[in-house]
Amino acid sequence: MQTKSSFLFRLFIASLCIIPVLILSALSFSKNWSFPSLLAEEFSTAAWVDLFTPGNSISVSLVTSLIIALLVGAASTTMGFFVSKTIAYNRYRRSLLLMAYLPFVLSPVILAVCLKYYFIKMNVAGTVWGVIIAQLVIALPYSIIFFTGFWNQRIKEYEAVVSTLGGKPGYALRKVIIPLSKSLLLICFFQCFLISWFEYGLTSVIGYGKVQTLTVKVYQFLTEANIFYAALSCCLLILPPVLLLWMNKRIILRYLN
Amino acid sequence: MFAEIKNIAKMYADKKVLANVSLSLNKHETISILGKSGCGKSTLLKIIAGIEKQDEGQIILNGTDISQQNPNERNIVYLFQEALLFPHLTVFENIAFGLRIRKHNNGKIKDEVYVMLESLGLTEHSVKMPHQLSGGQKQRVAFGRALIINPPLILLDEPFSSLDTEIRSQMQELYKKVAKEFQITALFVTHDIKEALLMGDKITYMHDGILIPYNSKEDFINDETTGAKKEIAFWNSL
Repeated sequence: MQTKSSFLFRLFIASLCIIPVLILSALSFSKNWSFPSLLAEEFSTAAWVDLFTPGNSISVSLVTSLIIALLVGAASTTMGFFVSKTIAYNRYRRSLLLMAYLPFVLSPVILAVCLKYYFIKMNVAGTVWGVIIAQLVIALPYSIIFFTGFWNQRIKEYEAVVSTLGGKPGYALRKVIIPLSKSLLLICFFQCFLISWFEYGLTSVIGYGKVQTLTVKVYQFLTEANIFYAALSCCLLILPPVLLLWMNKRIILRYLN
Repeated sequence: MFAEIKNIAKMYADKKVLANVSLSLNKHETISILGKSGCGKSTLLKIIAGIEKQDEGQIILNGTDISQQNPNERNIVYLFQEALLFPHLTVFENIAFGLRIRKHNNGKIKDEVYVMLESLGLTEHSVKMPHQLSGGQKQRVAFGRALIINPPLILLDEPFSSLDTEIRSQMQELYKKVAKEFQITALFVTHDIKEALLMGDKITYMHDGILIPYNSKEDFINDETTGAKKEIAFWNSL
């Protein structure tokens, strides 16, 4: 009985996740849908075929989003890992950590408006680099907070063990610290990637509409009432996270257990 | 003298942890440092290992002043209260760790590690991961990891304090055997009077950052401040 109800509950949860994706997929293959019809009048692969034509704006956005998210994920994970170590072993640890929470006090759009002036002055507003820096303002503190718990007394002692055995700090990092933090590094990269991938507020304000990530594109199609292309963009938007989730499935499950 | 610790002083904020600590150590000799928790004995070992910096004083090892050297240059191994085995490495790789740092070839590493495993009675555990070992076995692996690089000085910071009485006793015997076999020069920190008397060729007592050396175990027992007389009286009264 319990197994059956548990199965039904799982099916319900899975349906909640899968049904919207199925609807979006169906919409992306549709043409001429009007309210109150349940289904579109025509089935069409035109939107998907267009995607593979050179210079297609959605595929350009997909590549832009991928580049930005990969760079933000890699940079924030790497920098956050080392900055969090400095903070964790610093005598002003609590004050420094408090500063890492500051970007989360404001909503991303307000934060972007506050920072916009500096990005214009630095001549990076409306550029991919500008958007990357802007997203790091959120992703890096997240990464720092994520790793602060990792740098505890035990890790410090492992480093001391390696050094008294004759190993330099770099050796301790390569042979002990990174292997011990591997799953955390992957999870952090995955989460920072997602922060960047789904980021809209900072990207649209700092990107000035010139940097068209997939998220920006979805909003653009929605305001244009182009639901078929919006659905196609949404399908592409959920694709990399699902792929990453599948790749990290074992690590995440192990971490949760 | 093989090792000399001269006038080591250390302060944390306003608190004096070590006050002009001096100590001399002969080759192949183990000196016990007895003291209560927080008296500064672990800090002294960490300073000798280079993990912490002293405010004043010198450390001379084999005629060389190593006071300003980095811990990885001193070749002094520090054994913590916990075994601190690297959890992602097997017993074999844990013991081989120091040899890999020194870039020995694989054949030599294999030979040396198997000799060490044999000496410590760990041969059958060589492919196990640390979480599959008991507390005593972990400490034996930690010993092996330290001994295999043949350090001139080993610092043992209450290495058996987390073990139960029986295993602790076995480890004390093993240490005596290994110390003789490998001709170890060591400083052995403990808060246990019996262990201090058992493990050390000489004994010292640390109180509030001041280190008192004794010429003989009798002198140590006769000094009321060490608490050794009280301990003996307690056992005699049973």
